[in-house]
Amino acid sequence: MDSFGLLMDGFAAAVTPEHLLWALIGVTIGTAVGVLPGVGPALTVALLLPITFRLDPANALIMFAGIYYGGMYGGSTTAILLNTPGESASMITTLEGNKMARAGRAAAALATAAIGSFVAATIGTVALTFLAPVVADFATSFGPPEYVALMAVAFVTVSALLGRSLLKGVASLLVGVTIGLIGIDTQTGQPRLTFGIDSLLDGVDVVIVVIALFALSEAFGHLLTGTGHTTVAPLRERAVLSRSDLRRSWPAWLRGTALGFPIGSLPAGGAEVPTFLSYATEKKLSKHPEEFGHGAIEGVAGPEAANNAAAAGVLVPLLTIGLPTSATAAVILTAFQSYGLQPGPQLFSESGPLVWTLIASLYIGNVMLLLLNLPLAKVWARLLTIPSYGLYAGVLVFATLGTFAAGGTAVDLLVLAALGLLGLLMRLGGIPVAPAVVGLILGPIAEEQLRRALTLSEGDPSILFSGGITIVLWVVVALALIGSLALPALRRRAATRDRG
Amino acid sequence: MTETEPAPDRRTVLSSGAFGAVMLVASVLVIVDAVRLPDTSGAVGPAAVPLPVGVLLGVVGGGLLVQARLQLARAADGEPWQRGAGPRVLGMVAALVAFALLLPVLGYVLTSTALFVAAAMLLGAPSFWRTVAYGWALAAIVFLVFDRVIGLSLPTGPWGF
Amino acid sequence: MGRIRRWLPAAVAVLATVTVVLTAPEDGHAGSTARDVLGERQLRLMAPASPGGGWDQTTREMQESLRELVGRTEVYNVSGAGGTIGLSQFVRYDGDPSQLMATGLIMVGAVVANESRYSLEDTTPLVRLTTDYQVIVVPADSELTDLAGVSAAMSADLPAVSISGGSAGGAEHILAGLMAKAAGADPAQVSYVAHSGGGEMLSTLLSGRSTIAISGVSEIAPQIEAGTVRALAVSSPSRLDSLPDVPTMREAGMDVELQNWRGVVAPRGITAEQEQALEDLLVDMTETDAWRSALAERGWGEATLAGEEFERFVRDEQERVSQVLAEIGLG
Repeated sequence: MDSFGLLMDGFAAAVTPEHLLWALIGVTIGTAVGVLPGVGPALTVALLLPITFRLDPANALIMFAGIYYGGMYGGSTTAILLNTPGESASMITTLEGNKMARAGRAAAALATAAIGSFVAATIGTVALTFLAPVVADFATSFGPPEYVALMAVAFVTVSALLGRSLLKGVASLLVGVTIGLIGIDTQTGQPRLTFGIDSLLDGVDVVIVVIALFALSEAFGHLLTGTGHTTVAPLRERAVLSRSDLRRSWPAWLRGTALGFPIGSLPAGGAEVPTFLSYATEKKLSKHPEEFGHGAIEGVAGPEAANNAAAAGVLVPLLTIGLPTSATAAVILTAFQSYGLQPGPQLFSESGPLVWTLIASLYIGNVMLLLLNLPLAKVWARLLTIPSYGLYAGVLVFATLGTFAAGGTAVDLLVLAALGLLGLLMRLGGIPVAPAVVGLILGPIAEEQLRRALTLSEGDPSILFSGGITIVLWVVVALALIGSLALPALRRRAATRDRG
Repeated sequence: MTETEPAPDRRTVLSSGAFGAVMLVASVLVIVDAVRLPDTSGAVGPAAVPLPVGVLLGVVGGGLLVQARLQLARAADGEPWQRGAGPRVLGMVAALVAFALLLPVLGYVLTSTALFVAAAMLLGAPSFWRTVAYGWALAAIVFLVFDRVIGLSLPTGPWGF
Repeated sequence: MGRIRRWLPAAVAVLATVTVVLTAPEDGHAGSTARDVLGERQLRLMAPASPGGGWDQTTREMQESLRELVGRTEVYNVSGAGGTIGLSQFVRYDGDPSQLMATGLIMVGAVVANESRYSLEDTTPLVRLTTDYQVIVVPADSELTDLAGVSAAMSADLPAVSISGGSAGGAEHILAGLMAKAAGADPAQVSYVAHSGGGEMLSTLLSGRSTIAISGVSEIAPQIEAGTVRALAVSSPSRLDSLPDVPTMREAGMDVELQNWRGVVAPRGITAEQEQALEDLLVDMTETDAWRSALAERGWGEATLAGEEFERFVRDEQERVSQVLAEIGLG
């Protein structure tokens, strides 16, 4: 039987009231934990695993798939409303999404995020269904040199995120890279910048940095200006997405998906890198580049589609070769194994029906998430009518909970407070915080892969340019560099011509 | 690319300069820490990346200081802060530190309620007792859901929650 | 309406608190000796790693298997640095028999590599529970066909043989050092490429740029079955049931053996009776059906070893691992 026939059987198996109920429970829990800053799907699935041992495997896996996709949906909500990303992959969403919320367009931002997530996750799931083996081949052809080239692409495009002042943007990026150096060096086991504090050996969790720089510094800001009794943003509009919003959103959704799915399927790709690339792409291609930084809808639509497509991409190596490429995937792999399923090349032949039920339930979960989130967009947006003192005191409770869950020691909470003060200084000095998170995510991957590549080649740098994929990526780097120098010039010429 | 921002106010200039100073300190720390690392047999050792990062931190941090010095002369006064802004920020930091230290002793519900109340009152919540009620409700629900239902072990006080 | 709004938060707070109190975990079955030792307290198990890893899986399976013996137990994670962060917290529970922590070869290695202030000497080892062995693999199209070829290549030009594996100082790194030593080369010159997980390691191997890779058997078994990688040897003392055609390293002519064991320790300063009761409890646990099926599902080898013998085993491991890591240039 072909994939399509098997998928239809999967649907037949998944559409039972019992399975649908578990899918609904999963997406609801997923959305909830996605919304909470610091508490992510990986932790939730790990915690729920022992409780679900008594469930039928299909029910448990369907619920976990729902939590997984739901977490990605939920992460954008607080990013847009409170400038506090629920997951590191929704950090980019704050840049335009929160600006939109402040302009009274919260419902539109939430809607484009929800629909974009649906479009991307659905396309991603279709690609997972029919292209998984091809994508898996592509993903395993990525060794250290390819990652070095991919990181070069990411660093070049990051200039789009640096904000108005290049000096301040680079300062922020460097601080992020420096925080990324803290901890045990992965290649040699040497502790760096830990100053003898045991809890720093494992580095500073990205979640803690994101919470501190975004949420804490926001709360500190309200303390200084005495605006704690005001609401964060007024709600202005009735219609969720206008026709022009839709026209501007859909190309961004598709481009975000095209970036997110393949990069998400890479073992060290992650869901964050494609959001950076998507934001940069949208900013470059937009007909309204002047709106970026003030609430451009493309800047929400693209990255949100990218992180959900990446979430689907992560499942490709997990299901086809048994490679867990993210924390959540590792936990889902554990779940598979505890039900006696071994993801890998034999998964489809050995436990076929269950796998197709799972894939079918991913489609169903997606539809449920859209149905759950579109009406919720307006409800969530009402959160903004809570005065800031209540909102930020609540954010603080969840931020400390997330920090504690991520590290489990008092030192993590002290680091949170210290980074919050750093974030306040940055906010006061007009230094953008997003580049710091970008540096924190890209820096360690770039260093690790570069050093792996050079260890493999015994120090010969020519390995960085070996193989077809690396060359293509380096050409992209060159084009992006030329583009960022030449495009503004072309635009100026076009502008003068239009005027003349 | 380094466009000067339209008339930065005094406070922005000083904060950006202070951030530059923080970067200079970090630069020294990173370089000292990197020099201390032992050389390993590998092609690229553990200090290969921190050293250039440390130098760049110094250069950019110095740049921010110089920029701040140049802008200070023509900086205007910004909007005033609310009264007691500084002590309020310090109060919030103290609340976070106290939270970190008391959490294992007094348990999740009580310390989280205290953190909520401290934050909300510092931000200007009007009624103390209502804030306590909201904070306790939130902390108790979080404890119920995460500790009792999901199984994330949160610290407990002598009274079991 | 206004009245209801005013009292709602207080009412919710009271209701939630009452529920918290009512759902307080009840004590387990009375009677067993471990129960006498614990008294009113619940057993708490620390997984010194993040959710999803080997220690996390071990403690969560223990939680399940201990349920019928002592009722509810609590599992919590303190992640990082090969378990040494968890260890440094665990030593604070001096003399408290209700606190247990998972441990194993990786922690022994990390204590040395990270120059941790505390070691397993600061705990009371109770039992060894499981083992996982390492397997040496090459890409399917590699020219290397057996371990003798690897050994020859290593003694000819060690840095040219790149070895992919898990974290620096971990089980795979230790095995790489032992292999270099057995091949008559200087372990400090091993060109070891560390990875944070089996996934990344596999991708470096499959991209064809790493000569060989070392992995836990259960992680890579599906790839071996599918033929994407070829297994050259396993680090066990005798052939494994799961890979009957793969020779042991000894059979393949390299005098090396390594097991990635996992076990449980209690804090230092507990009394001899407490120690005995906890050991009995854990040995009883390994005989439950729940534990047996967990071993089968996870592909872990049973390796129950308790009491004095386990303590001697831990001391020997510490000695051997520190020596190898010192030769690799770690610790």
